[in-house]
Amino acid sequence: MPKCTIDGKEIEVPQGTTVIQAALKLGIHVPHFCWHPDLAVDGNCRMCLVEIEKMPKLQIACNTSVTEGMVVRTNGEKAVQAHRTTLEFLLVNHPIDCPVCDQAGECYLQDQYMDHGLHDSEVELEEKVRKRKVVDLGPIMLDAERCVLCSRCLRFERDVTGTNCLEFVNRGDHMQIATFENRPITHNYAGNLADVCPVGALLSHDFRFKMRVWFLEDTDSVCPGCSTGCNVSVDRRDGEVQRLRPRRNVEVNKSWMCDIGRALYKDIAVPERVSGARLRGDGPWQGVRLAAALDAIAAWFKGAGKAAGLVASPQATNEDLFAFRSLADVVGARLDFRVGDPQLKVWVRSDNVLLREDRNPNTQGCLDLGLDREGIPEILAACDAGLVRALLLQGPELLRLPEAAPALDKVPFIAVMATHEGPELARAHAVLPAALWAEVEGTFTNHQRRVQRLKKAVPPPGEARPGWELASGLVRRLGGSFGAATAREVFGLLVHAVPDYAGLDYKVLGSNGRALAAGEGTAAALEARV
Amino acid sequence: MATRVITVDRNTRPGVSPILLGMALTFKNMWNTLFRRQASTIQFPEEKRVTSGRYRGVHLLTVREDDTPKCVACYMCATACPAECIYIESGERPEKTIEKYPTRFEIDLLRCVYCGFCVDACPEEAIFMSRENDLVGTTREELIIDRDRLIERGKLAEFGPGYRPSDHDVRRPVRIAALERLKTEHGIVPGMPRR
Repeated sequence: MPKCTIDGKEIEVPQGTTVIQAALKLGIHVPHFCWHPDLAVDGNCRMCLVEIEKMPKLQIACNTSVTEGMVVRTNGEKAVQAHRTTLEFLLVNHPIDCPVCDQAGECYLQDQYMDHGLHDSEVELEEKVRKRKVVDLGPIMLDAERCVLCSRCLRFERDVTGTNCLEFVNRGDHMQIATFENRPITHNYAGNLADVCPVGALLSHDFRFKMRVWFLEDTDSVCPGCSTGCNVSVDRRDGEVQRLRPRRNVEVNKSWMCDIGRALYKDIAVPERVSGARLRGDGPWQGVRLAAALDAIAAWFKGAGKAAGLVASPQATNEDLFAFRSLADVVGARLDFRVGDPQLKVWVRSDNVLLREDRNPNTQGCLDLGLDREGIPEILAACDAGLVRALLLQGPELLRLPEAAPALDKVPFIAVMATHEGPELARAHAVLPAALWAEVEGTFTNHQRRVQRLKKAVPPPGEARPGWELASGLVRRLGGSFGAATAREVFGLLVHAVPDYAGLDYKVLGSNGRALAAGEGTAAALEARV
Repeated sequence: MATRVITVDRNTRPGVSPILLGMALTFKNMWNTLFRRQASTIQFPEEKRVTSGRYRGVHLLTVREDDTPKCVACYMCATACPAECIYIESGERPEKTIEKYPTRFEIDLLRCVYCGFCVDACPEEAIFMSRENDLVGTTREELIIDRDRLIERGKLAEFGPGYRPSDHDVRRPVRIAALERLKTEHGIVPGMPRR
């Protein structure tokens, strides 16, 4: 392992580490455009020039490997002058339209001009080379004038998606990026192009002109779109989610996420959210307070005794599932979660980037908590035979299943925890308002058995509560005890009850989660075998 | 630190002369007001106080040649605003040279502290202030003025433009719709105030 000194600080790094990576480990920021931690090195922007002792010329930090005894200076006079000159070249044809550019605030050009440039432009605005602006590429808007030709997007298209949609055209001053015949970018990872672009050349169509980024506050969370569990940042303003961004986790999603996941924030603040509890006796729906609804449901379950059924949802967090399992233990009810087929495909990839067939974020958590008890067909058969007097659903998935309808019609009381209104809720007799993933603290266990943290970004609407609060309210009303008042405490109980999760708590999970050993029969073990 | 005791001499005798001096001023003002018509006060609202050309009154938005707002919805004013009284929503213009413009631009004049930071922050010379200062409304909603009312400042004729970038700071010519109409329809060019 070679040892080097960067700006007077010594560090030992693995063989093959580049200077820019070593500097990053020391917390030293070397200015760059084309280098991206999850893309191949290209070394074309010439911004990351550093002085290295015994080398006559400046070297690019992104493509120079650390060797034994190397002494690097990133902020020496020669390097700083080089940064300034490179920046001046990059800005020669830049339109400097920061006021109307959505990238402003998270733009490498802007930041580095403030850090290293601060020169007056030698080129008048009228003399600059004009290129194509406002080119609609489907989910992406291209502005070729703002481009610094770093080729990050090209390398993303080449290495990550393998689609090669974007290419350089023309030469010299007139060089720009383009798709063939201006065709739109159709693959599911287009949103990442806006993220990898260090400037405002590729911008998200969805986020266009919506918000200036400096108004946004971000919360670390996990995408609930499929069993991959991509790490995301939830960007919000005034209690409303404005966009989702991938958060780097080398083990899970690197720096990417798919457009399906990226669009999931649109389900959060919609009028169709269930914001209050409601009950239906024989008559029409009646809105009631949450406590009254829980009382009514508890009364039905007391009456039903062991003739009750519980169906958990792989959309729920581990905390919700654990509270739900505690409820099943108190009632002595039948319990399962496997509605439909895709959950069996927890490890099956939909494409070879990130998306997986199982569109539930926490199927693995359900399996780890042992929620696969009776089997949904058996519960439905019991319903059909009139052996189930009360049924509680953690999500409305079962109500949507047409083949379950005849059996469910024979159950005298169905309660459902729902986040969104839908026609299927008409089949239930009680609806409890549940909080959505961005509104709760909790954990998901992804297909690799990595337990990852979700943090609360926005408040839930109306009386909506996290699933574990609803379940624990029922546990208490049915005479059981539930010794937790926060999601953190619920996770504490869970860790005690599930041996595989031993030693975990929210602090240990940190921002990138913690992988458990791939147990027998888990998705990760199966995938390893496949 | 040791406590220090300061002895204050309160044993002062009131004289007659300060009272007489004060009363003299009062009678002089009374005389001037009653008989010489030189009042220190003005008859508001019939009479208006003359304000400086840098007075910070109600805002106005400037326009381009085609009477569309000069504003490009960059949110600099909303960012600089310490009272958070500016609300902007941006939209897309069909012209590719301008791209962005405000579909909504509202200023809550009840929250505004008239600091003029929005004028300083604007990169386009799009927002100025006028010298209008007698702001009256019967509801709160009336005093949240929108984009079109900010462009058509009706009372500008009476008060004239106020705080704005100095002439040598203005890089491109600026048009104020209300001022131009004033000139074409009434032949009035509001100059700097008499003093």
